[in-house]
Amino acid sequence: MSIMEYNGGSVLAMKGKNCVAIASDLRLGNQAMTVATNFEKVFPVTDCLYLGLAGLASDVITLRERFRFRVNMYTIKEERQIEPATFAQLVSSTLYEKRFGPYFVEPVIAGISKKTGEPFIAATDLIGCLNFAKDFVVCGTASDKLFGVAEGLWEPDLEPEDLFETISQTLMNAVDRDAFSGWGAIVHVITPEKVITRTLKARMD
Amino acid sequence: MNTFVSRFAPSSSVIPQYRGALAGDDDDEFSDLTWGSQAGFGNIGAKGIPSFEVPNLPDPSAFLRMHTDDYADPNCRIKIQHGTTTLAFRFKGGIIVAVDSRATAGSYIASGTVKKVIEINPYLLGTMAGGAADCQYWETYLGIQCRLHELRNRERISVAAASKYLSNLVYSYKGMGLSMGTMICGWDKTGPALFYVDSDGTRLKGDIFSVGSGSTYAYGVLDQSYSWDLSDADAQELGRRSIYAAGHRDAYSGNTINLYHVKEQGWEFIGNYDVTKMHYDGPGNVPGATGGGYGYDVRTAGRSASDADAIDTSA
Amino acid sequence: MADGAGSGGAYSFSLTTFNPSGKLVQIEHALAAVSQGTTSLGIKASNGIVIATEKKASSILIDDSMIEKVSIICPNIGIVYSGMGPDFRVLVGKARKSAQAYWKMYGEYPPAKVLAQEIATVMQEATQSGGVRPFGVSLLVAGWDDHRGPSLYQIDPSGSFWAWKASAIGKNMVNAKTFLEKRYHDDISLEDAIHTALLTLKEGFEGQMTEKTLEIGVITVPQDNVLKMKDGRPVPTFRKLTQEEIKDYL
Repeated sequence: MSIMEYNGGSVLAMKGKNCVAIASDLRLGNQAMTVATNFEKVFPVTDCLYLGLAGLASDVITLRERFRFRVNMYTIKEERQIEPATFAQLVSSTLYEKRFGPYFVEPVIAGISKKTGEPFIAATDLIGCLNFAKDFVVCGTASDKLFGVAEGLWEPDLEPEDLFETISQTLMNAVDRDAFSGWGAIVHVITPEKVITRTLKARMD
Repeated sequence: MNTFVSRFAPSSSVIPQYRGALAGDDDDEFSDLTWGSQAGFGNIGAKGIPSFEVPNLPDPSAFLRMHTDDYADPNCRIKIQHGTTTLAFRFKGGIIVAVDSRATAGSYIASGTVKKVIEINPYLLGTMAGGAADCQYWETYLGIQCRLHELRNRERISVAAASKYLSNLVYSYKGMGLSMGTMICGWDKTGPALFYVDSDGTRLKGDIFSVGSGSTYAYGVLDQSYSWDLSDADAQELGRRSIYAAGHRDAYSGNTINLYHVKEQGWEFIGNYDVTKMHYDGPGNVPGATGGGYGYDVRTAGRSASDADAIDTSA
Repeated sequence: MADGAGSGGAYSFSLTTFNPSGKLVQIEHALAAVSQGTTSLGIKASNGIVIATEKKASSILIDDSMIEKVSIICPNIGIVYSGMGPDFRVLVGKARKSAQAYWKMYGEYPPAKVLAQEIATVMQEATQSGGVRPFGVSLLVAGWDDHRGPSLYQIDPSGSFWAWKASAIGKNMVNAKTFLEKRYHDDISLEDAIHTALLTLKEGFEGQMTEKTLEIGVITVPQDNVLKMKDGRPVPTFRKLTQEEIKDYL
């Protein structure tokens, strides 16, 4: 079994009109055994920038701390908040540093630029190849299913509430077809004014 | 010499006169009755034993093992469905049979509505774990033989005999990639009888069995509350609760629970229950239900210090 | 007593030992080396920055076309120095490498302040490490970034750095600063700043002030309607004036 599927879990981000959404499931597994159903995979970076990490749980935690460190250092040194696009570069270069012994994690980045107000989403593979998508990005054990459902549900210029509905339905229906993802979900919708966070009542099998 | 050649030639080549007439038609060795009236059992010969083509090789079972046995080689091309939770237990009121309904192909959940209890006849149930097709085919075939036994001997076959028939049959295919882990459940002259039969040739008589990837979780709940003297309602609840536990913890099990109760007059289908609904709300107003969801979080909401937010302070 | 370090008396344990009055004499000496160097200055204008210096060859036989005192670090940052040329060259090398490392990490060039801090750190290390001497240069760093806009920093051999509206370093720095204090106002335009820079340098200029004896670098604040990126590369905000352009200003 692939190390990327050892703990299971999936993350997804979508762009809307002046807003972005990022969501993850809550499962932490040990191969087929579900160990916990409260393992969040999306973390705040700034007040309008979030990072999702799907993959090996130990690396998810390690990278979360590593990025927290690097972003804190950046914020102090530069006396400013990091921009989504800059953070995406930081994620990419941090992962490529370990090209020949990578972190088994696929990151998803979602945020709104403080400078331009532009919504931003991106994802990379485990060694940092950036994918700047206009619509949505997916990763994790349910990624192929997420692609399928998102391709069917997403449409451009969704308002925050509609984007919430779209990302929630996409995630829930995709993970219901994946043995290693699900067991609850959490969604963050980021707008220039505020972040709306909701946990979803999902299938528990 | 001719016998040697025909042994290693494809079976269709022994009737060459049909080859030209039905070129491109690959069902020429079957009679027309195969499709429909014989329900896929048209290959059962005069002796009542089905014949299958095997790969045209000196050692067909080695070839099959290489390509179909995913236990030996997880990357083999022919995937056989393995994830499942099934259980059956004997008690004073008969036998409870409970199964999940999930079918997976790798991490993909191919179906959530699989019938894993095979109704062999009104008195016999078989459960399905391992290869779905193998279980379905051979347990249906077992049903045919049980009926023939009934006609020949003017009495119903015992569960012991039926399970042994199946066990001997799968043993004759040992090493050729059959994959089944089944429980044969029924009520005969001896009372409720339960046998575990698998494709390795194992046949065990017992009171409690659980088979499949989620069996450990089911055993955990089952062993905790099992007693011979369980009431019908409590036994049914135990079956539901056990499969729920497996559906919750095991990635390869879940979706819905199918619950059967084998009684003296034959088996009875009790119901189909959604695992997620069991988690949040429980089975509802059914015999044996204690009320409320089975889920740990649901049962303990607001009762621990780490969950203080959920404590209702208004009362 | 064959030990070289131990044989020179109480003040030769280290080149960077505080003297009894609390000063690091080596840094004082480095500053002295700077004040012997040719004058350089920088002025921050409302729409840009100018940095300028006098380029003096010790002999007319030297091909002055290869002397470079104003250096581009990255598309948005340029620096000028007073003091020791070779030390400057080393710092330019380190600064460029640092800017590229920043690009590699963040996909954009560093803000002027971050780069100034980086250079200052390198210079500070030379005041505290064994076996080295402090850098014999002061620097003026001019840069533009979308966080702080145009900014001008001065870095000294001690490793300290400050932001300036206008500053001068080198031989004539005291006079030049006095001159700048009189001439500077907050809404000065870049064009006026360039002229002011030339006027300031003219005071105490040794020899003829021509396009060959001057080096000028400018930061131009990009307008909103102008592309900041072209073909995937940033459009430079810092550039050096050509000899023709300098000639036009004289």
